[in-house]
Amino acid sequence: MLRLAWANLIHRKVRTALSVLAVAIAITLLLILVGLSHGTLNDVSNRMQSVEAEIIVRDTNFDLGTLSGGKLWEKEIPRFQNLKIDNRPAIQRVMPVFLGRLKLAGQSQNVFGVRPDDFQFFAGARKIVEGNIYEDVDSPNVILEQQEKQNNLDDNTLPVMSLLIDQKLAAAADMKVGDTTYYGDLPAQIVGIVETGVAGRVFAPINMLRAANGIAAATCHMFFVKANPEFNTDQLQTLCEKIEQAAKRDATLVANYGQIIKANFKTLIIFVNLVSVIALVICFLFILVTVYTSVLERSKEMAILQSLGAGRKLILSQTIHESLLICSAGTLLGIAFTFAARYFIETARPLMTVEIRLSWLLGAVVVGIVGGIFSALYPAYVAWHHDPVEALSFE
Amino acid sequence: MNNMSETLIQTENLCKTFRSGKLETPVLFDINLNIRRGEFVAVMGPSGCGKSTLMHILGLMLSATSGRIFLNGADAATLNESDGAKLRREKIGFVFQRFNLLPTVSAYQNIALAERIRRRRRDNQIHEVLEAVQMTDRADYKPGQLSIGQQQRIAIARAIVHQPAILMADEPTGNLDSANAGNILGLFRKIHLSYGMTMILITHSETAAQAADRIIHMNDGRIEERERRLNI
Repeated sequence: MLRLAWANLIHRKVRTALSVLAVAIAITLLLILVGLSHGTLNDVSNRMQSVEAEIIVRDTNFDLGTLSGGKLWEKEIPRFQNLKIDNRPAIQRVMPVFLGRLKLAGQSQNVFGVRPDDFQFFAGARKIVEGNIYEDVDSPNVILEQQEKQNNLDDNTLPVMSLLIDQKLAAAADMKVGDTTYYGDLPAQIVGIVETGVAGRVFAPINMLRAANGIAAATCHMFFVKANPEFNTDQLQTLCEKIEQAAKRDATLVANYGQIIKANFKTLIIFVNLVSVIALVICFLFILVTVYTSVLERSKEMAILQSLGAGRKLILSQTIHESLLICSAGTLLGIAFTFAARYFIETARPLMTVEIRLSWLLGAVVVGIVGGIFSALYPAYVAWHHDPVEALSFE
Repeated sequence: MNNMSETLIQTENLCKTFRSGKLETPVLFDINLNIRRGEFVAVMGPSGCGKSTLMHILGLMLSATSGRIFLNGADAATLNESDGAKLRREKIGFVFQRFNLLPTVSAYQNIALAERIRRRRRDNQIHEVLEAVQMTDRADYKPGQLSIGQQQRIAIARAIVHQPAILMADEPTGNLDSANAGNILGLFRKIHLSYGMTMILITHSETAAQAADRIIHMNDGRIEERERRLNI
């Protein structure tokens, strides 16, 4: 029976090819949309979780998803840095992060302003592959005062801010150590390139970044807290609660960042899922019409099969076989298209991440099979109820 | 040869009325038939007299409005769709005026497909029937590549490959020229003699009907007269 279904599909090559293509496009759209949205969110989440710290302290109004909102003061650190749990010192290090924005490789990048000494905890196992770590000034005022002097003297030699960028951004922006750009009015020079996977794609010395934003005070957006390495999750959770009480700020486990960011972008994920479902529904309606037309065209063939002794179940399975063949071929082609699309997207936009998981591919196969069966149900119903004698009497 | 005295097909007051909305079209009236095993019967009559409808009812492709049919002793009224399909699959072969071959597969595959529906794969049997209808050399041709006479031979091969108890042919020579029609009727006689199956030939042609042992005349949905002939 599968052979007959196959022969029918081959007999109508163009229609079959269009149907397979429709399924393939829908499956590609589904996998790319899911892969791109989840890939981007997971990439941001994984990079943030690569920091060798366990807790993020932030202002209640600071949004971890968009990395924007209320600020903190470095002078708040003493409020909680000597906390103890079970009579043991709970915190090893507090690392302030000041965030800025810089347009590189055609898109706005978060710049992580961190102290040079803290950078090793942001890099973790990742190495600086070219150049070196930057140096910082003692205070933003050093830069601001220098700027003020040079403005008065009408001097164009402004202080230069050092930047560290990751390899992916370096490739996307086609930048190397020694290249310069501008952060606002302030010249900025690439002093080092770090392996991809660090929290920010761009790092800058915290005081220089503050100065570049016209801020003299020691403000920041987040504290990364490196806790006692012997603490377990429960103790870390307790530490979060103690920090919140002591600092009157929000404290979150870095390990929960993935969940937080996904909750933050829930609407986006719902939208992506909705678009995917609509794409699939349109695709399977197309298959339904294709198989339905095929059933109408082949009512005589079905009558012939019935005259040969085929029961209605066999007629039904014939219709479903055909739909399944279209959907299976379309799904496999869609998976191939997805890998090709990922290659093109990541080549054209190197900063984008399209994640493809085996479970999603298997899910796509299941969607293809289930969709194939559902698309065949109405045509099969029509086939089931057709009158073989009437069909046989047609020319 | 089978025992000719045994009744294979029997109908009692068989009636058929087609309904379309409120419109009722009576087609068959009180058909009482007895066809013995191994008999070659021609049902003859003008177009629209109900002979094809009778064949479809006897072949379990269509249900009667009233009356009873016994096939091989089984009351057709007691058969559900699945049992009807099984009986058709195992015991009946159909040959149609328009051949009704599947255009997308080869002549061989058309016959093999019928066997697959019966969940059998008997290549030897397929080759044997292809030889019987003298179509061995055209086995790999698709129906569209065959002449109409050759297509009808393949249709006959498909109908007899499982050696059914009953072979029903609805105007099998209706689309053929006289030479091809003569050959096909000769083939039916040959099959009847070789396989001894019960054959029902539906035709409006006096010449075609002459191939049968017995001719049943129909007019306006009724059997008018029975004529016995002896073909030697």
